[in-house]
Amino acid sequence: MLNYNSPINETKDFNNLKMSEESPIMKLVIRGKKREFISKVGKLLNILLPNEPNTSTVGNNISALWLSPDEWMIHSNDKIDKNNNMYPIEEDLINNIHKINLGAITDVTDQFTMIKMEGSQIYELFSNSCPFNFNDFKKKKGAVTQTIINKIDVIIHNKEINVVNLLVRRSFSSHLWSWLNDGAKRI
Amino acid sequence: MTKNLRTKASKFIDETTRISFKFDGKVYYGYKGDTLASALIANGIHLVARSFKYHRPRGIMTAGSEEPNAIVQVNGNSAYTEPNVRATEIEIYDGLEASSQNCWPNVNFDIGGINNILSPVLPAGFYYKTFMWPASFWEKYEYFIRKSAGLGKSPTKPDPDIYEHKHIHCDVLVIGGGISGIMAAKTAAENNFKTLLLDEKPHLGGSTIYQNSDFDKINNQSSSTWLENEISKLKDIKNLEIKTRTSVVAYHGYNFLLARENLTDHLPFDKKKNKIRQRLIKIRAKKVIVATGSIERPLIFNNNDRPGIILSSAIKKYSDYYGVICGNENVLFTNNDSAYETAISLFNKGIRVNAIIDIRDKVTSSIVNQAEKLSIKIYNSFTIVDTSGYRRIKNISIMKLSKDGQSVTGSKTQINCDCLGVSGGWTPAVHLFTQSGGKLKFDYDDNVFKPNKYPSDQISIGACNGEFDLDTIIKNFNNNVKTYLGIEKTSYENLNISASKEILKKNIWLLPSNKPIGKTKSFVDFQNDATAKDIKLALREGFRSIEHVKRYTTTGMGTDQGKLGNMHALGIISDTSGVKMSDLGTTTFRPPYTPLTFGTIVGRNVGEFFDIFRKTPMHDWHVKNNAEFENVGQWKRAWYYPKKNESMHDAVQRESKAARDGAGILDASTLGKIDIQGSDASEFLNRVYTNAWSKLAVGKCRYGLMLNEDGMVYDDGVTTRLDENHYIMTTTTGGAATVLGKLEDYLQTEWPELDVYLTSVTDHFATISVCGPHSKKIVKKIIPDLDLSDEKFPHMSFKNAKIGNIKCRVMRISFTGEQSYEINIQANFGKSVWEKCIEAGEEFNITPYGTETMHLLRAEKGFIIVGQDTDATLTPIDLQMDWIVSKKKYDFIGKRSLYRSDTIREDRKQLVGIITEDPKEVLEEGAQIVADVSKKPVEMLGHITSSYFSPNLNKSIALGVVKGGKDMLGKKLFVPMKNKVINVQIADPVFLDKDNKRLNA
Amino acid sequence: MFIINCPYCGEREQSEFKAGGEAHIVRPKQPTELSDDEWAEYLFMRKNIKGVQFERWVHIHGCRKWFNMVRDTSNDQIHAVYKMGEKPPVK
Repeated sequence: MLNYNSPINETKDFNNLKMSEESPIMKLVIRGKKREFISKVGKLLNILLPNEPNTSTVGNNISALWLSPDEWMIHSNDKIDKNNNMYPIEEDLINNIHKINLGAITDVTDQFTMIKMEGSQIYELFSNSCPFNFNDFKKKKGAVTQTIINKIDVIIHNKEINVVNLLVRRSFSSHLWSWLNDGAKRI
Repeated sequence: MTKNLRTKASKFIDETTRISFKFDGKVYYGYKGDTLASALIANGIHLVARSFKYHRPRGIMTAGSEEPNAIVQVNGNSAYTEPNVRATEIEIYDGLEASSQNCWPNVNFDIGGINNILSPVLPAGFYYKTFMWPASFWEKYEYFIRKSAGLGKSPTKPDPDIYEHKHIHCDVLVIGGGISGIMAAKTAAENNFKTLLLDEKPHLGGSTIYQNSDFDKINNQSSSTWLENEISKLKDIKNLEIKTRTSVVAYHGYNFLLARENLTDHLPFDKKKNKIRQRLIKIRAKKVIVATGSIERPLIFNNNDRPGIILSSAIKKYSDYYGVICGNENVLFTNNDSAYETAISLFNKGIRVNAIIDIRDKVTSSIVNQAEKLSIKIYNSFTIVDTSGYRRIKNISIMKLSKDGQSVTGSKTQINCDCLGVSGGWTPAVHLFTQSGGKLKFDYDDNVFKPNKYPSDQISIGACNGEFDLDTIIKNFNNNVKTYLGIEKTSYENLNISASKEILKKNIWLLPSNKPIGKTKSFVDFQNDATAKDIKLALREGFRSIEHVKRYTTTGMGTDQGKLGNMHALGIISDTSGVKMSDLGTTTFRPPYTPLTFGTIVGRNVGEFFDIFRKTPMHDWHVKNNAEFENVGQWKRAWYYPKKNESMHDAVQRESKAARDGAGILDASTLGKIDIQGSDASEFLNRVYTNAWSKLAVGKCRYGLMLNEDGMVYDDGVTTRLDENHYIMTTTTGGAATVLGKLEDYLQTEWPELDVYLTSVTDHFATISVCGPHSKKIVKKIIPDLDLSDEKFPHMSFKNAKIGNIKCRVMRISFTGEQSYEINIQANFGKSVWEKCIEAGEEFNITPYGTETMHLLRAEKGFIIVGQDTDATLTPIDLQMDWIVSKKKYDFIGKRSLYRSDTIREDRKQLVGIITEDPKEVLEEGAQIVADVSKKPVEMLGHITSSYFSPNLNKSIALGVVKGGKDMLGKKLFVPMKNKVINVQIADPVFLDKDNKRLNA
Repeated sequence: MFIINCPYCGEREQSEFKAGGEAHIVRPKQPTELSDDEWAEYLFMRKNIKGVQFERWVHIHGCRKWFNMVRDTSNDQIHAVYKMGEKPPVK
């Protein structure tokens, strides 16, 4: 059996700020332009794909984040089995969407590392290297944005007030993690 | 000197907390709340610096950020040292050490002072004129000029302080916490605007907060008492954030501003530790209210730069705010009423005022009348024609002004003084406004430039808008701020204001002397030692544009950016050339408003955060196994793995040999990977690659070359058909992001009709490449179920597989020319699979190899590296890769460019193999290739792009580009080096296994 | 540093975007039919206007979508943003 090595694998606790890696979380990028794509995905996943920019929807097992007019990320709400990377949801989507040329289904489970952040200082920490205006965003449950933190591309999902999922490409994740920790210790 | 020149206690100074500091090596004492300048003056020190060019003694001249003279080196000889710090801004703390700049051996006796005597031969443009000829002498001149240039010394050690950046988005930004700024911030915040108020000083209140004039009253209180009360209300207002010690240094378009927040500069060393020293705040404001106030002007007269000559308003601030006496024998020299306020304030504290010299005729405003009542001697229509005193002003000579103000008449009168306060009126601080792109208009009544057209959503209020008296400020505030914020009313509409009104104005930019101008030194820019004479000389020599005069005379080019003297320079130019001020315009005020340290600009991006970097899933293994790393794009890639004392050369030779003799393993995870899906995926690949893709069978891989529209090679890589409408494309490591960007561009803009989706999966997969004659056996051990037979799994094909429960993709592709397998598995399992391969390969001497060995191995096979062997000037034809350019396809990116007149030239540089006559001689990459060494100038035919010693061929091999090289096979050429000429021969670029026997074995 | 109103994501800082040169230059449908001069015109020739200019931009650190923008290069005022394929606004 293969060992599983996620890039961060630690939890940090600061003043009013807790950070840890959430893994393994199944993540798929799904893309499509046709209306049929959206309705079919909705039926297959039992979730409404958000069509309003910068928003998300949360279903029983999975969440869907708006990334662009023809692109969404869907991810499992809970951790999945480490020792299996065959996902029934992915297979369903491939067979019912990709195979009939309705859109594209791509497994990005390890393309992105998910960092879960909790506490009132999250946006204070972001503000020292992120140009995005969080004034309204942080008050809006479910808001999603793609932006840059210290020049690294990230997806920020304001899950709940003061609870954020930060998604970053895996290869950048340990650098971003050190950067966030370095900033957090002085907040 | 243990003098303590203090007036009675000031409430802004904590006299119970004594602070010791050093200046020029001597210990002095001051109080908490003092700036270095106020503490020095309290100790009787005025001479603090030498001027830049003439090394004249200079004293503290102002009490603010506009200070031109008193700039010091702080904490010299330590890592904390900082040059060019304004003594008027830095607050003293225990342990502070400051020293004068630009003087040797010391400020009281300065060898460079000889320049003052030499000054007749150091006119404006002296350096430009003198050091131009002969041109060959420049190198000699430069050494001396560089030595005498500059003021402070830059630190030589790494900056030990911590800095940070912060983005703030607000509705209303108020710049300046004087009376206007405080009213504005309070009004905005009370009306539900998220408001940020910034002020460069440690306390809010501007100059109003220490105002003690009997004439400025608000609701029958002194304006300072009223304002104090307003400030005390600010802390209860929600929506309002206040930052003091925070200077706005730049105002850019779209209301983007930069400010420096000073957090620890005023704290003693033990309290600075582990704290953020300064913060660069990046502000995006919907609305900006500029309330930056005004700066008092000096007067331009002969010898106006001696220590002890201070702005009148600064004398008042030193006495009223810091409780410090600038002089015991004061004289004030003015063209307006504000010097009278200083005189009265000093008089009321029992400090002697010997005289007020006023260039105006007799004035009858209430404040002037008050001065007369106090029996202060006033000389109307007089001007100062000279001053004396070397290290401190001793006396002044005055004469009667002629009616037109252009000359002086009568006899000279001498008046003794140890401090001369000067006031030439007020200049609105419009620097930030103009930085933002704002246009100014000239106001002939007040002789000031005022904001005219706002380039963004902003407004200037108060003194920076040319409003100088209290009732105008409040009246305009109510009108303008109400309109600007779109609010019903302000809480300042029913204030009862009384103020003294100035009733007579007079302005002379350059005051006359009894001496001819050539014999005077009337300084306009104190920091850069530019005089009125220099400006006139520049005009005589034909300079007309204000920007040219500025550069020729260096007026306004110091660290103070000419905050004091710029207006006078313009005035003198206007008077001399006869061009109206409004037509002359101003020079550009550039950011930063006050200097920024590099530390603040860089923020936390130092050390490990200097640049961002990416790690592969196997990174930790490489570190543990002693790898040296190479930066490729943002990636850290294993470069080679030296064993014990092995040199790089030895390691690479060993790794290269092992890969061909036994087995090698490479971390190829950094290659860009793009998932391509959609019914038009094949058609899309046809359009972006030079070769044909439609007939590629599912399960097969193909090498592709991508061009720019100009026909030049852009990227390359292997693409695999996973399914009917599903491909995975690999790109070069460095090109991944730009290739994806370019492909998205074509899809979205040129071919939106294509049903294709691109998704990056670079980070999702760990890519492990196992190569060498034993590679098959190793892969078999790891994935026993996979049929690896050459019939079922030939070169350039792909299989889905599973390792345990984990699905993965295996490609049989090769960049080394050896049989090799690439395992692509989800990144979090990468390290584990890598370790399993190492374990399985142990019996075959599996050797991890890095990028250097990879480069060597592929060079043996003549495979190119885009970006090393190509440089965006080579077509595939130039690379002798005609085989990959489809003749049948109607179009692909760059096709049309392949037969432009320039790209079909026969004598283009073409990629060839190069071998040396001496097989041991390894060429230098970048070395030039020539045909004839004796011909002068030597004609360059091309250069070496890749060069290695091949352990497998036991000889030196190289690739290079040579003009017309395609037809030169076997031709002898030369590579001239510094000490020798190397004989080389053009060869086939494929040095090893031309028939691909090893690949398919 | 501008604020750009991405037609998909809304107002964002300029640092999230990348400029892509002059807009409305269409790649010829049949490049092989073109003379060297005609091809060079498409390939190399770009306007460099002081004043109102039509430009391509991409929200590279956001939704990755290309769009067009009308900008006055003399003062950086952005007059309009519009999606690819949409008609440019009349001056």
